[in-house]
Amino acid sequence: MEFHSDPVFREEIIRRYLGRALDVRTAEAWENHYLECDECFEEIRATELLIQALGEPAVERRRVNDVTIYRFAPGTQLLATSLELSELTKAVRLETDTKVLIDLSKVSRIDSTGLGVLMNCYCHAVKNAGVLKLLNPDAPVRRVLSVTKIDSLLQTFEDEAAAIESFH
Amino acid sequence: MDFDGDQIEKLRPKIRYKVCYEVGFYSADVDDIVQETIARFFVATREEKIHNPAAAGAFLNGICRNVISEYRRRNMRDEPMPEIVPEPPTKTLPATDLFDLREAIAQGLGQLSERDRRILKSFYLEEKSKEEILRDTGMTDENFRVVLCRAKERFRAIFVEQTKHRAASRH
Repeated sequence: MEFHSDPVFREEIIRRYLGRALDVRTAEAWENHYLECDECFEEIRATELLIQALGEPAVERRRVNDVTIYRFAPGTQLLATSLELSELTKAVRLETDTKVLIDLSKVSRIDSTGLGVLMNCYCHAVKNAGVLKLLNPDAPVRRVLSVTKIDSLLQTFEDEAAAIESFH
Repeated sequence: MDFDGDQIEKLRPKIRYKVCYEVGFYSADVDDIVQETIARFFVATREEKIHNPAAAGAFLNGICRNVISEYRRRNMRDEPMPEIVPEPPTKTLPATDLFDLREAIAQGLGQLSERDRRILKSFYLEEKSKEEILRDTGMTDENFRVVLCRAKERFRAIFVEQTKHRAASRH
């Protein structure tokens, strides 16, 4: 298979490889090739970055009464490389909200950096005489919050209405 | 066919990527698998077992697949994983590097026009074919290639820059 003949064809291969949508034979041919070809290996890594950038760090901010709620796009992963973390930090630190609720229902995974950012946001809120609480974390995220005992510090709610009510 | 130390080292990031792709980017065993693959490949080259030098990549990929299969078989024989898997001490980037990378990605994205972003999203995220995009947007094949190549150029530069930066900070 010739991967250098057409850049668009190669991009389609990379896109499908990264999405694990290539058939076994083509994936094997592509791997055989990029293990030898520096240019194509760079192309994979560049496409990864591009896809990461295009995946837009969607952090939605809305207000219910005087409570600010931050919510992520479905399937968000709060990992070290996630752009959502920068967005969340910026949003929480630049605003002067004192009642902050972070909705984790769409977050599928979180790592130590993600936890660190949550804690930073919490510290920022406390320093400004504010409160930060979490809403509806999914089971894997809940487990991490529990193992690290962060759930004993950050109040966590299952229900949005109850969470909003708790600020008053 | 002979591979010297430098050539083997050049292969390492590619093998590492392939292994991560197969076993997961957060597996703690990635480096062991990579090392075992490289060791076997090195022995094979010394014993001149690569009969077709033009297919060295395929040979290496074969070795890598075997090592991964053995690793998976061994894992299945071992005790089941605990319910809560502690985060392995993976070689993640230092916080400053990650910050730089995030900033570079955001900057790269900022350099793309709204129209280019829409087109690239259709291609990469919505997985539309080139033909569909041309039909939907009315752009020419040549324009589409320009948009794609320009974006890739920027993000390739980011990747190369980050790789250089990490290599420099290792020394």
